[in-house]
Amino acid sequence: MAYSLSDPELTDGLKSQEDLKSTPVKTTLRIESLDILRGIALLGALLISIWTFGGFSQNMQTKLLLHPSGGNYRLFAAVSLLFEGKMRAIIALVFGAVMVINFSKANTINALSNADVSIRRFMWLIAFGLLNAFLFLWTNDILFHLGVTGILLFAFVRMKARGLLIAALLTTLIYCGKNYWRYQDDNTTYKKYLSVVAIEKSFKKDSTDLLTKNKKKEPLVKPTATRASTLKKDSSAQKKDTLTRQQQEDKSAWEGLVKNMKYDSTADARQAKQMREGAYGTLWNTILPEAQWREAGWTYRTGIWDLASMMFLGMALFKLDFFTGRFSNSRYLTIALITITAGLLLGWYRLYFHNAMLLDYAKFIKRYPIPHNLFFPLERVFLACGYAALIIFLLRIKLLKGLFSALADTGKMALTNYLVQSIFFTLFFTGFGMTNFGKLEQHELYLLVAEVWMVQVIFSTLWMRFYYYGPFEWLWRYLIYGKAFPNKKTVSATPEPAIAAII
Amino acid sequence: METNNTLVGEPVLPTIPGAEFPIYNHPPVSPHPVFKTDRVQTIDIIRGVALLGILMMNIPIFSSDYSRIDAILRGPHNTTDFITIQTVEAFFGGTMRALFSMLFGAGMILFTISKKETHGGVTVAEYYYRRLLLLVLFGVINAYVFLWEGDILYYYGLCGMLLYPFRKAGAKWLFVLGILCIGIGHLKGMLQYNDLREKRAAYVSAIATEKNKKKLTDKEQEAKGTWLEIEKNQKPDTFRTNRNIREMQGSYPTVFSHLLHRNSDSETWGMYHGMWDMISMMFIGMALFVLGFFSNKLSGSTYRMTLLLGYGLGIPIGWIFFKEGYVGSLELGRYVDAWRVPHWALYDLRRFLLAVGHASVILLIYRSGAIKWLMKALANVGQMAFTNYLMQSIICTIFFFGYGFNYYNKLPYHRIYFVVAAIWVFQIIFSVIWLHYFRFGPFEWVWRSLTYWKKQPMKISKNEMTI
Repeated sequence: MAYSLSDPELTDGLKSQEDLKSTPVKTTLRIESLDILRGIALLGALLISIWTFGGFSQNMQTKLLLHPSGGNYRLFAAVSLLFEGKMRAIIALVFGAVMVINFSKANTINALSNADVSIRRFMWLIAFGLLNAFLFLWTNDILFHLGVTGILLFAFVRMKARGLLIAALLTTLIYCGKNYWRYQDDNTTYKKYLSVVAIEKSFKKDSTDLLTKNKKKEPLVKPTATRASTLKKDSSAQKKDTLTRQQQEDKSAWEGLVKNMKYDSTADARQAKQMREGAYGTLWNTILPEAQWREAGWTYRTGIWDLASMMFLGMALFKLDFFTGRFSNSRYLTIALITITAGLLLGWYRLYFHNAMLLDYAKFIKRYPIPHNLFFPLERVFLACGYAALIIFLLRIKLLKGLFSALADTGKMALTNYLVQSIFFTLFFTGFGMTNFGKLEQHELYLLVAEVWMVQVIFSTLWMRFYYYGPFEWLWRYLIYGKAFPNKKTVSATPEPAIAAII
Repeated sequence: METNNTLVGEPVLPTIPGAEFPIYNHPPVSPHPVFKTDRVQTIDIIRGVALLGILMMNIPIFSSDYSRIDAILRGPHNTTDFITIQTVEAFFGGTMRALFSMLFGAGMILFTISKKETHGGVTVAEYYYRRLLLLVLFGVINAYVFLWEGDILYYYGLCGMLLYPFRKAGAKWLFVLGILCIGIGHLKGMLQYNDLREKRAAYVSAIATEKNKKKLTDKEQEAKGTWLEIEKNQKPDTFRTNRNIREMQGSYPTVFSHLLHRNSDSETWGMYHGMWDMISMMFIGMALFVLGFFSNKLSGSTYRMTLLLGYGLGIPIGWIFFKEGYVGSLELGRYVDAWRVPHWALYDLRRFLLAVGHASVILLIYRSGAIKWLMKALANVGQMAFTNYLMQSIICTIFFFGYGFNYYNKLPYHRIYFVVAAIWVFQIIFSVIWLHYFRFGPFEWVWRSLTYWKKQPMKISKNEMTI
């Protein structure tokens, strides 16, 4: 008898298994905390994304960090401290939890096994990410990375909470390690630079000595001849008075590094011109390298550890019932206060030393054995968990009920809202649309974000009143199952909270 | 039993010689590795050949700086060295990787279909993804610890993760997917080539302006510089060559840091831009497997026809590809001026045809019953392909790199193929002897034990041996 994973018999059987840590969705409230967290993270992340969307560039941030005072700096520091990296962390946290739910839930549809659904979910998410990056032109898309990391971590869904916590810890440590090693690379580059500079100094001394001693006795070796011989045996050529190519490279490596960190007064105008000018095709060419770097380079260096660590943690916390009320109210509040405090302290440390680093990187490297961002991975774990605990606490004491229900709606259609953000901001800022790139001040950008929040929350509430899924969520399910699910809510029909909430 | 998997087309189960390999008649036991009796021997043989063949393609990178190959290709065409490169590139270039990828795809179907699931037990999907994640990890070790910069395990692991939803797709769909992936790869290549042509055209017009004794505009000056830079980077340069040779002949830490950025760059960008090379052939391999091509299910005349077609078209195309494309593009400027479409456009067609030709030869020999001992030995090599692949890295790095026997860039070029032959003989003998006593190759055993998270039985018991 041919065997197939999609046997109804088998998928039904998944319901009863014990060792899967099967947690079928029982109440709406239990999942609601995840939806709310996702809704909040989705909206909060916009405060950071708007920097890239609107043209509050790295360069401008450098300028602010070089003179850490004044309202503009304080606003930037506060947003960076409270939101940068933390919203992405919460999104990954929720994503990890949902991975476990989707894998272990009772399969009501029976067309596909849970494993198949999970893998297809990830792969279509990657496709949405590509669409977001290369059609909607959002360079810092996260869907692609969530899909990729989801596939990589699929093998861990069954792991017990303890193992998952260890995995989360290890990946966080590797993330810290990567920041450290990159700093050590810079350190090595600087040391090489110093030794080249020392050699250069000795050349000057030598040649002045030579000049005074051998004046008119014999002509100096022609520079071209020297260069040719250095190419042949470059390390032994140190005695000659030109730098070998290796030494030149070593020297310019550090000089380039420092130059890239400096504030460049013309860079912003150049970038703004590029983003404001031209048709869709020109814009596409402009963002292409950045979007590709984000998908390949960033993922390999940072993204995989950034997301995997939080997903592991999300899986573990879900299995520990953290999202579904394991602890008492006061315990949640205590956790929130402790982790948020710890996260803020680490964030303050990062900002403080970032300033020192930008002021004089050479001095910084000589003085400090660790980089400013060494603890950033922890900062973001602490704050993300703190926020989650705080929100669960507020949810349980039934505060701000109306707001939370609206945020849950926003979270339920997070994919739609996320893609709509890209479409809207690309149209609002770029030359393809309304050419507002670089025209808004930092605080104006945040005001714009607040407007978008308002519209998205209201839109989501209205939409979810009439439909089970957001439009892109519906499309996603259609692509996964190859089947069109009814979307419109009828008055008599009981809502389908479990499924609607998960996808 | 009917499946209602409609998204990926008609579910077609691969047809495998039923009597010999009762894959569908397992009792419902918990999943276990594919044991000896379950294996499709022809697949192991072809994999064995591909595994050995891949060393032919890799040995130049293990052993030599590119400047040597460049010099040989630019030199007279009747030297032993030139003929060596010509033969290897025209007849085998890319084909062994293609075969390997094809069999990887086929192996994916075998792995998922041969496993029985128990209610509530670990699903096949989980085993599959664990297995691939471990493969990625082994690839990272192969690159960063064994210091083999041409590792493919990392890429296979990641590409394989995208195959799972297609494990039940029909041959037609799989071919379409394969061709689609080839198409994406070629589209990317064409965009790049067009960019190159534009840069060349700008350079040519700048030169023409210069000849007319007119002053160049800033833009023209820049265009000229851009192209000259491209040409310069394409040619080996003494400084880089010397540094490469010096560092490859250095200690382990020297070689490690020398290759560090190359490794991370290729795992980042090679994967991102180059995955189509592998995943396309994986899909095509799945399709061929579904049709029964690799499992010796087709008729003798079919295999004779695929052989004729594969070699009959593949060899001439391969010849043109090598002569005009491979050697011709050394003079990049002239090449770009002459060709609107690069020969690279023929690359995948060529290697597909040749790979099918190679596989057909092997299958025909197998069917004829000739050189049975060698076929059995090659099956053993293929059965422990993972061990043999990693072993090639270990042997070659130790033989060529500075921290080992330090033969990097020292042997006359054609002699590196003596090393290849020696490793072939060693690996064949080693595989035969090892599998006489053990069920799996040593690295296979580690891989399987980690996948199933349980120590796998390794030794073949006395009773089994007598059977």
